[in-house]
Amino acid sequence: MKKKIQILSIIFTVFLILGTPLFAAGQQDAAGTDKEITIQYWSWDPELKTRNETMIEKFEAANPGIKVELTTVEPKEYWTKIRIMANQKKLPDVFNLSSGYIEEWAQNGLLMDLGPYIQKDLNKDNFYMNLFDAVKDLSGTDKYYAFPYALVTTCLYYNMDMFDAAGVSYPDDGWTWSDFRDAAKKLTLDKNGDGVTDQWGYWFYGRYAHIESWIYSNDGNLINRDTMRFDPDSNAMEAITFLTDLVLKDKVAPSKKEMSAFRQQDVFPNGVAAMFVDGSWNIDNNRSVAGDSMKWGIAELPVGPHGNGSLTYGWPDSLAIPPTSEHPDAAWKFAKFAAGEGLTMDMVMAGKIPSYRPLTESEAFLEKGQQPANKGLLIKQAAKTMRTSFTKSWGEWRGYGAAEALGFNGVIDGIIDGDLTFKEAMDLADTNINKVMSRNY
Amino acid sequence: MNPPSPSIIKNRQVENMKNRALSWYKPIDPWLFILPTLLGLIVFRLGPIISALFISFTNWDILKKADFIGVSNYSEMFNNPAFFKVLWNTIGFSFIYVVGVMVFGLMLAVLLNQKLKGIKFFRSAFYTPVITSAVAVGIIWLWILSPKYGILTILLKNIGIKSPYWIGDPKVALFTVSIIQVWKMSGYYMILFLAGLQLIPVSLKEAAIIDGANKVQAFFKITIPLLSPTIFFVLSVSIIDSFRNFELIYSMTRGGPQNSTNTLVYDVYLNAFVYYRMGYASSLAYILLGIVAVITILNFQMKKRWVQYQY
Repeated sequence: MKKKIQILSIIFTVFLILGTPLFAAGQQDAAGTDKEITIQYWSWDPELKTRNETMIEKFEAANPGIKVELTTVEPKEYWTKIRIMANQKKLPDVFNLSSGYIEEWAQNGLLMDLGPYIQKDLNKDNFYMNLFDAVKDLSGTDKYYAFPYALVTTCLYYNMDMFDAAGVSYPDDGWTWSDFRDAAKKLTLDKNGDGVTDQWGYWFYGRYAHIESWIYSNDGNLINRDTMRFDPDSNAMEAITFLTDLVLKDKVAPSKKEMSAFRQQDVFPNGVAAMFVDGSWNIDNNRSVAGDSMKWGIAELPVGPHGNGSLTYGWPDSLAIPPTSEHPDAAWKFAKFAAGEGLTMDMVMAGKIPSYRPLTESEAFLEKGQQPANKGLLIKQAAKTMRTSFTKSWGEWRGYGAAEALGFNGVIDGIIDGDLTFKEAMDLADTNINKVMSRNY
Repeated sequence: MNPPSPSIIKNRQVENMKNRALSWYKPIDPWLFILPTLLGLIVFRLGPIISALFISFTNWDILKKADFIGVSNYSEMFNNPAFFKVLWNTIGFSFIYVVGVMVFGLMLAVLLNQKLKGIKFFRSAFYTPVITSAVAVGIIWLWILSPKYGILTILLKNIGIKSPYWIGDPKVALFTVSIIQVWKMSGYYMILFLAGLQLIPVSLKEAAIIDGANKVQAFFKITIPLLSPTIFFVLSVSIIDSFRNFELIYSMTRGGPQNSTNTLVYDVYLNAFVYYRMGYASSLAYILLGIVAVITILNFQMKKRWVQYQY
């Protein structure tokens, strides 16, 4: 009996071992006999699947001989899957890459330097080149490791109905932090006189877009880029103090725990707070949550006492090509098309700003007839200098996604929820974040 | 004529097997039948378990080739105050969960072990949360517990009680999340208890009552001891189950506020799939495996002292 088991298991093992390469070889042969080049494209947006397919059809029609195979992965699984592809040296020829990973991926040699292609084969008048520079800065090198196709920047959302009711004039370019605070005070209301605030002037918590936006409007920095340590400068500390005081002293913004039942992005469109700062993608969320029930607009962030209004918090989404790509020319051609003339307004989430100027500067971008009426303001922001707090292990020290309640995000929440004093919180941040930083730098 | 004794019947069956009916039987056959399952277990369970042990001694981040770093992950863990917080949270969550599901599960089972009209409706009603997605449960409870508009907050306010910040206060959040998990899972343990209760012959309880025991005495002296095998089973399963709390924590608190609901399973997820520190996550997972193993072994050791098998 033992012998039979042995034989059987050998047969099975041999079958398993042989089966895989045979199967793979079969696939390769099919591709090899074909004269066309096939490139792989990985997208992280399932909602865009059909529109991506249409775009690919257009590309293939214009570029005979190149076939594009689209793989769409759920955003939740995208990074794990694509990391495994990187590990196996099987990265797709073109793939979506977010700003937060550019540095890590570039340093691991997983991204091709697009500089030569940009030099000889890109009409620089057609793209916002400062976004390419932002990508270059994010990589920590002087090379262009990714092709930015859309920018997310942050802006101030305000509820016009509430401003009108309180008799406060709308935010404009000249707004300072104290103008903002005064407005927030007037917009914080206890409507039924029960001693509980029903309408808040502002809403924020420890989230990156909610904090760093203000830090950059005051020309501050959380990370010292020379030492690569968490070391908020005085401008950054001023911004954090200003924000946390809005909750603790001025009482014009709720604590985080007060809003626990809401998705963070739904507080503003539900009419619970009169003002809100977050990524421009919230234009889409505001439209779908608030509908026509309220009038709202967008404005640039108020300029801090030490800022001059030339900086903005923005991070582009990019397309990347790995050095392992067997068809880099075709991949470049496709990336240029997908980020440029192939892009249509319905492929860019409302509020994201395409780096392709003919699209951004077209009537279609302004989406006349939809809120906000002044969407063109985003174009102005896209031209500014970008700053971000991205580093390696950013998600860990900043507290992002599933780690949102931890990291620096959790520390700020601790201040506004009254669990930590300002000093305790910043000391904790210093210890914990620099532990992460020293592992990386 | 007397019926043949059982031993004679058995002998006859063995004879039959040997002589004709199962002459095609080969000892290897059962192995063939379980081979697919066995292969699956080896490839998808045992393989990862063993490779995770090796990974736990490396700094693997999926992207780079892993470096062997000895016990650094383990020493980092034991030098990290947050790890002990996580460990403590894990134990706290498990304790509340195990006690909660056992008490509520048994209570529901006793209530539903009666011949009432519409009893099937209640049985399925109490089971519904078990099959409801944890994310949906989390969101609904966030609404119920909302500090301003939540139903519970308003109900308590009407009887003059000021609600704490159920999930916003670090002192309360772990308790809240574990109680919600109890609410969600009690129905499952109710079914197990119900099955156990229905195996207990009514005659035993009736005899006790005829002998002068009241209902409470009958419950504690007859039902509970006879139910002890089921109780043991529920205890073992619920302890292991109590470590699986990822989804609810993800949808309600994300480990906050101030690390107060961050459990081992959640921390493993964060380190593996958010920070991509596969090495550190594997060492955390091994600590979790160790805890589960020790508790389960202890549990089986203790079993002799209090579990009474009737049959």
